[in-house]
Amino acid sequence: MYINIMNPNRRGEMIMKHVYKISLILIVLVMVLSACGPAATSTTVPPTEIPASPVPPTTAPTAAVQPPTAVPPTAVPPTEVPPTEVSGPQGTLRVALSGEPASLYIPNTPDMNSDTAASQLYDPLVQLDDQGNIQPSLAESWDISADGTEYTFHLRKGVTFHNGDPFTADDVVATWEYGKNPDTSKWPDRFEIAKTVEKIDDFTVKVTTDGPKPLLLITMWDFWSIIPKAYMDKVGVAGFEQAPVGTGPFEFVEWVKGDHITYKANPNYWQSGLPKAETLTFRFIPDSATRVAAIQTDEVDIVTRLTAEESQSLKDVSGVKTLEYPLTREYYIAFNNLTTGIGQPTMDAKVRQAMNYAVDIDGILKALFLGYGKRSTGFVATGELGYGNVQPFAYDPEKAKQLLKEAGYENGFTIDMACPAGAYSSFEEVCQAIVGNLGEVGITVNLNIMESGQYWDLEAKKQLPPLFGDAWADTSGEAYNRLYGALGGNNAAYSSWSDPKIDELLKSISEEVDTAKRKALYEELQVYMQVNPPFIYLYEPYTFEATRDTVQNYSPRHSEFVYFTNTTVAAP
Amino acid sequence: MLRYFLNKLALSILLLLGVLALVFLMLRVTGDPAALMMPREASPQEIEAFREKMGFNRPLGVQFVDFMSKAVVGNFGNSLHYNTPALPLVVQRLPATVELAAVGLLMALFIGVPLGLVGGFNPGSLIDSFGRLLGLLGQCIPNFWLALILILIFAVRYGWFPAFGRDEPKSVILPAFVLGLAVMSQILRMTRSTVLEVRSEDYIRTARSKGLNSRTIYFKHVLRNVSIPLVSLIGVQFCYMLSGSVYIETIFAWPGMGRLLQESIGWRDFPLVQALAVFTSVVVITLNLATDLAYALLDPRIRYGK
Repeated sequence: MYINIMNPNRRGEMIMKHVYKISLILIVLVMVLSACGPAATSTTVPPTEIPASPVPPTTAPTAAVQPPTAVPPTAVPPTEVPPTEVSGPQGTLRVALSGEPASLYIPNTPDMNSDTAASQLYDPLVQLDDQGNIQPSLAESWDISADGTEYTFHLRKGVTFHNGDPFTADDVVATWEYGKNPDTSKWPDRFEIAKTVEKIDDFTVKVTTDGPKPLLLITMWDFWSIIPKAYMDKVGVAGFEQAPVGTGPFEFVEWVKGDHITYKANPNYWQSGLPKAETLTFRFIPDSATRVAAIQTDEVDIVTRLTAEESQSLKDVSGVKTLEYPLTREYYIAFNNLTTGIGQPTMDAKVRQAMNYAVDIDGILKALFLGYGKRSTGFVATGELGYGNVQPFAYDPEKAKQLLKEAGYENGFTIDMACPAGAYSSFEEVCQAIVGNLGEVGITVNLNIMESGQYWDLEAKKQLPPLFGDAWADTSGEAYNRLYGALGGNNAAYSSWSDPKIDELLKSISEEVDTAKRKALYEELQVYMQVNPPFIYLYEPYTFEATRDTVQNYSPRHSEFVYFTNTTVAAP
Repeated sequence: MLRYFLNKLALSILLLLGVLALVFLMLRVTGDPAALMMPREASPQEIEAFREKMGFNRPLGVQFVDFMSKAVVGNFGNSLHYNTPALPLVVQRLPATVELAAVGLLMALFIGVPLGLVGGFNPGSLIDSFGRLLGLLGQCIPNFWLALILILIFAVRYGWFPAFGRDEPKSVILPAFVLGLAVMSQILRMTRSTVLEVRSEDYIRTARSKGLNSRTIYFKHVLRNVSIPLVSLIGVQFCYMLSGSVYIETIFAWPGMGRLLQESIGWRDFPLVQALAVFTSVVVITLNLATDLAYALLDPRIRYGK
């Protein structure tokens, strides 16, 4: 500290000098900071043009030429019976997402949050209803050629996009062309399922495929959200992502990055009386504890992806309803017979059966998930085509020991296993419990819990140990993608297993258009996969959500997919 | 003075180059992003094609030179998640982060300095004990825990503040308080100990013996000397607050850079993480440079020191 002895005049001068210097520094600081920040952070659509001609009244959907694909019910029961009709959309529905969407252009959406937000803006040609049936949407009907390779879609007339452009066959062709181009799409293979998409006339489109593609319609529902050709050609994908336009029940209003996305009801929606909510807002709240607080403070109407404990804590809160349902996601410990597993005891089917008998799934679910969770019967999830013909492995350590003895491993063996850290809810603990269970029947497991990025890197290179844990979700209503992805041998990035019988059955499934026959094939596959298990089957997790009392007709599907078209919220 | 400034500037530039190199290397040691960015059902061929498109298959050295030459002009490529240039995404988030840090710092100053002064002038008093307790708690309480507790009390229970977001002016209060608390206790403790130290200096005794009244002594002699260490502390702490709000922004769903960092790490969005790390470093280094200058202007011993 310097000594401050000086005459009063000099002192005043010094003080003024310091004040001047400090102000200068502050100004510089402010300039440095403010120079970096732009003024506006939101993107807004140009004003929507109202089409000149009124939209013709919607007729009841004409019966599809093809009988609806009979997929077992996939919807969670709606939260409540619909209330009495009100005229016009009302109220603001506020939905909390666990993360910010990456894009609102369907072919660029990498995750569920993006999908949930984006899907409300568009219509596909065909719709998958809550019961898992394919229904008409922008296509009123369609014909399928006898050999199953030509689909002729008859398009709905009088539909307009949010910007006023009329919907025609050109838009369907453009949607496909943008979707199959890897430069403008993250999911080109979901569009390449069709070989050609041709315009026959303004309201007729012909789609041809290389051989029968039973998953074509479901894929079209999931990915082929129709976009306006003229607008997309004009603004490009980057421009489209700033201000997306579809024919869907909601129109884009703004996206304030990091904070919220707002839609408003499409006043010209082709389904009269829909949507029910006037405004739809998505808030991004990454922390689940904060989502719990936000529903309690009535700052949002719907929160998803809570933990079992958080859901319990909301059970007695007035004004809040909770719901939980099993997800179409299978957890499993995979075996490897392609690289690291070669020569290991797990090459023997009896050993793999024994390991399935040794693991106490119900005990794990009870200890780690308050009992919420459903023991897997195989790799086909609840509600998917062909589910339910096999029983899960019972927890039977004695039988496990017996099978190990028969396989010649009476004294057990030692094997390596890996699990990802922080990737799935409590999965590290699940893996540790499995290691304990396997230890009880004499199998010593060296568990390596790895950072998840590195983990998936090694999984894609097929360099994980002979045992590794993972989970696989699917939104399509059928288990095919999951089965092929995890069992497709060297042709699938995340598969570490190859079995000629499984390959053959999967090939048949991918070519069989008849739903009943496809169901039988799934059942045959599941029986085979019980005798020759490629996994230790674990569980289907539950997901926990909560809504405000004022929300009605909210019905998420087991895939977490949800449309807000019918959801109502009390008007302010 | 100019030489001092140039010296500091050169050091800052060197530091920034070091940061760039570190950012590049740290992200590369955890594995290949191509596999993770692609959908799970993607075939190995599709993953390879993506790797090639992004240039992840080139030798590390080539990727490094490419990265550095583009990074120095602010080009970090497109964010993999958002598919738009990374740097503007980061810059967009700056105002929210600055707002949070600035309000947090102001709260820290308005609580910390007065409590520290009163405590320093009246050691052992009730207010001093309260201040010391607050200072201790502020440093010990984990901020993510405090954040949740404050949300439960002031948003859920009493409804005085929103639980999340940046919708209205009062949204900033809770997150800024949590962010500022640790800084507040540092300011409080430092102000208190500096006052205690200065109080017993010879020049204060001299001032007293000249018959100056207490107010003049406190405001003209003690406060000015307290301000010197405060300036450097504030500079450092403001940097800490700008870069250290990852948890708090995530919990309060605050649309700032910290939350973007947390999310982009989850997405393994290399360009975005790099842009964030480098941009935050530039801000911090610039602020440090400014603090050094401010310190030199205030204290001639620094300016002329060898």
